Amino acid sequence: MPIISFDYSPDRPEHIETILNGLDRYNPETTEIFSKYVMEQCENRTYDCYANLALLKLFQFNPHLSRDETVTNILVKALTVFPSPDFSLCLSLLQPHVLRPISSSHSNPAAGDAPFSEAVQQLNKLNNQLSSADYASFWATLDSDDLFADLVADVAGFEELMRVQIAVEVSKCVREIQRSVLEDWLNLRAGEFDNFINKVCGWEIDGASVTVPANKENEAKGTVVRENVKFDQFSRLIKRAYEQPA
Amino acid sequence: MSLRQGAAPARPLADESDAEEDALVEDYREQVRYDNNDTQDTFTSFDPQGAIAAQLAAVAAPLDFQATLDTKLASYDLYCSLFHYFLNSEGPIDIEPPSHNWAWEVIDEFIYQFNSFCSHRQKLAQKGDNQEEIQIMRDNQHTWGCYSVLNVLYSLIQRSQIAEQQAAIKRGEDTAQYAGEYGNRPLYRSLGYFSIIGLLRVHCLLGDFSLALKTLDDIELNKKSMFARVMDAHFTTYYYVGFSYMMMRRYADAIRMFSHILVYVSRTKNYNKNAQYDNITKKNDQMYALIAMCVAFQPTRLDDTIHTAIREKYGEQFNRMQRGGPESLPIFEEMFRGSCPKFISPTPPDFDNPEINVDPIEHHLAIFMDEVKNNMWSPTVKSYLKLYTTMDLKKLAGFLEVEPEKLRSQLLVNKQRSRQVRWSEGFLLDGEVVNSSDLDYALQGDLIHVSEVKIGRRLVDWYLRNLARTY
Repeated sequence: MPIISFDYSPDRPEHIETILNGLDRYNPETTEIFSKYVMEQCENRTYDCYANLALLKLFQFNPHLSRDETVTNILVKALTVFPSPDFSLCLSLLQPHVLRPISSSHSNPAAGDAPFSEAVQQLNKLNNQLSSADYASFWATLDSDDLFADLVADVAGFEELMRVQIAVEVSKCVREIQRSVLEDWLNLRAGEFDNFINKVCGWEIDGASVTVPANKENEAKGTVVRENVKFDQFSRLIKRAYEQPA
Repeated sequence: MSLRQGAAPARPLADESDAEEDALVEDYREQVRYDNNDTQDTFTSFDPQGAIAAQLAAVAAPLDFQATLDTKLASYDLYCSLFHYFLNSEGPIDIEPPSHNWAWEVIDEFIYQFNSFCSHRQKLAQKGDNQEEIQIMRDNQHTWGCYSVLNVLYSLIQRSQIAEQQAAIKRGEDTAQYAGEYGNRPLYRSLGYFSIIGLLRVHCLLGDFSLALKTLDDIELNKKSMFARVMDAHFTTYYYVGFSYMMMRRYADAIRMFSHILVYVSRTKNYNKNAQYDNITKKNDQMYALIAMCVAFQPTRLDDTIHTAIREKYGEQFNRMQRGGPESLPIFEEMFRGSCPKFISPTPPDFDNPEINVDPIEHHLAIFMDEVKNNMWSPTVKSYLKLYTTMDLKKLAGFLEVEPEKLRSQLLVNKQRSRQVRWSEGFLLDGEVVNSSDLDYALQGDLIHVSEVKIGRRLVDWYLRNLARTY
């Protein structure tokens, strides 16, 4: 199994790496650089959670520098890597009042960023639907409000990224699945569905069902964990055998 | 506001006259950017001419529980001038730490006061009734600011070159050639070292769990580490590392951390019956609550002593969390509230709009509870699957009284959660994705194929024990 490092991203440019490893990660002047990097991730379909968290931290420390679109872009990017904890880790760095139920803030015009809170909470709703593998509801919610179209607009290929990620998760659990279920989960029908399944996933459609090739995760083979015996465990015994010839 | 101010050119402290003393105060005042001089009369400065021993003891001692706000502000000033004196004097200060634990106690108390000050400020804003204290808070926006606290910790780390020293220890080299003028002195070395632990704690309090773990890159978590020599430090480190892992949903790693320290404490508690031990008892119980939550997420065989202690302390809650379902939600909430760190916001609250100030603890609780809700059916689903090798999805849905499509989703969720990043070697943030469940399954249409991971018999321990007896 390959080692994964949370703080590593293969696409990270050197100047970002330098800032992240030094105290400049706290310097409000780097906000611009990080924000530009978020835009690059949105455009190039790359992703760097550790750097985005550094930007959210700068916003947390300097709320007057915070830009709503940048924050929501980071959250939308984090959705594309569900079911990882990234989205939650981003939420943890936002102002505590953003998750407060909206209804109570209407009565108070002073809480001026109600639209922002609403955006965050709507994205959180999507995240919870994804985390509970309720993909059909995810697509329904996404189509239910124009707000989402605005929120995901900056993230290039959002829908395709989501479909690919859903397919990845499905393939871990499924050897064969009804076409109708998968159509709902991917929100694709007819020719588009066939195309995605054959071309992008490389799976086979067999009448009313779709076959997912065997992989390590969907085998579900029973295994027996055997004891791992190290020679060291016997060292005392062997030592004693020398000390007291029986 | 920049952290690098800590390393700003120091004002020479040539002969310690009153004039110099005032200059020091001025310099420091500039650093924290006081907007006004109202605090002049409460100012308590560290005085290198005074009774050093008494002052060093004072900064390491807990503030009185009923200390007034003025005392708390003055205490901040005292810390600032002390650290300023240590960091920005001409060359390193030649003082031996008064006691073995002193450096830890100073950093610990410094962060504790920062933490409780921010919590207090938050409560003031939420209640909005104590106008007198609110006015004081408004006038002292920068007191106990997170930038100044981080500044102190990072400056101590840099001055002592502790990262370089720890890297040398990892390579098995002598630290002396990497420690520099400051880091070779015990005072700076231990302050620097415990500042790393302090950073772990501050990042965690601010909700930055990945950065909290990243901070410990330089420190090796083992019994030979410096923190292990101070019981309280040892304990604190494992609490915050374990908690950060839990919030990153790396439950196996969190359980490993909590188990390690809880077993350690249970073995050494007879030797540690002193004042420090009382502090530990509370955190100890909190960690039992945390490990119980982690085990509810991810069933794990625990060390017998820990398992027994959880049953004693949280038996009923533990059962209900393990059973899952909506009835478990209030238990998770209660346990989380009782055992989480006292989270803080880095910026002062909005005193003009008391109702928009949400307690950071509620914020983190809400995020955590979303994850609990997404997983709450897993125990039930798993308990049924264990009984079969193949099972029809619709039939199982009938047993569970849910719609088949809901169950299909739950099966996916349960499978995803069983695949977890787990540490194997290297830094704390590293790990590999492993199957952490003893149950695995795959869907073929509506047919669920179930397989089990069986643990083979463990013979070597038994064999060795009996051999040892016969010898």
